[in-house]
Amino acid sequence: MSDLRDLYQEVILDHSKRPRNFRELPEANYRADGYNPLCGDRATVFVRLDGDRVADVAFKGSGCSISTASASMMTESVKGKSREEVERLFTRFHELVTGSPDKKDQAAVPELGKLAVFSGVCEFPVRVKCASLPWHTLKAALEGDAVPVSTELSESSSGDGGGKAR
Amino acid sequence: MDGVHPHDLGTVLDYEGVAVRTGHHCAQPVMERYGVPATARASLAFYNTTDEIDVLVKGLHKVREVLGA
Repeated sequence: MSDLRDLYQEVILDHSKRPRNFRELPEANYRADGYNPLCGDRATVFVRLDGDRVADVAFKGSGCSISTASASMMTESVKGKSREEVERLFTRFHELVTGSPDKKDQAAVPELGKLAVFSGVCEFPVRVKCASLPWHTLKAALEGDAVPVSTELSESSSGDGGGKAR
Repeated sequence: MDGVHPHDLGTVLDYEGVAVRTGHHCAQPVMERYGVPATARASLAFYNTTDEIDVLVKGLHKVREVLGA
């Protein structure tokens, strides 16, 4: 079993206590709600797209330290990126936290940057949904999905939920 | 425990060998009624020993240590 410190790294604790971009974004042109009914985590992600670029992004909600830190660091890493770059980052992050067996040395993927601190999450299966909820919510926002994202009632086969509540 | 989310508390206690239930406890309506997003619950039964309670308390100190709360 890996060490708890692999999960609760300093950067993660810092972001969970002082989340960045934790606010509503009145000028957002995309938004989505995410919910994990099993643990009660909620996240609303606001995005202002300028053409194809993320001009601004913010989030509100309540959750554990992993989901709060994940949302906070997500907003920092996607700002200024194009839709396609965000999509790619989502895929990389997803592979990192689910520990895709064919994707060894994820932490070394330069694209992930600071997000590599979430590499410990894959050792704690019940916490994968905490880390991925904000990302699924962001994806739904960018896809203009009006239906809230839920980690349960999943229609996707991604293995960590992130389906849409019907 | 102030400043600690029940799910984080549960993960650390689990690591210390103590099982508690965290989250909604399949009781969303009552949680919503009292405005509590999630809780952690240690359920003691007649077969639990005082030594086990000590392990729980030690685990709670560990929670503070790990999460810096």
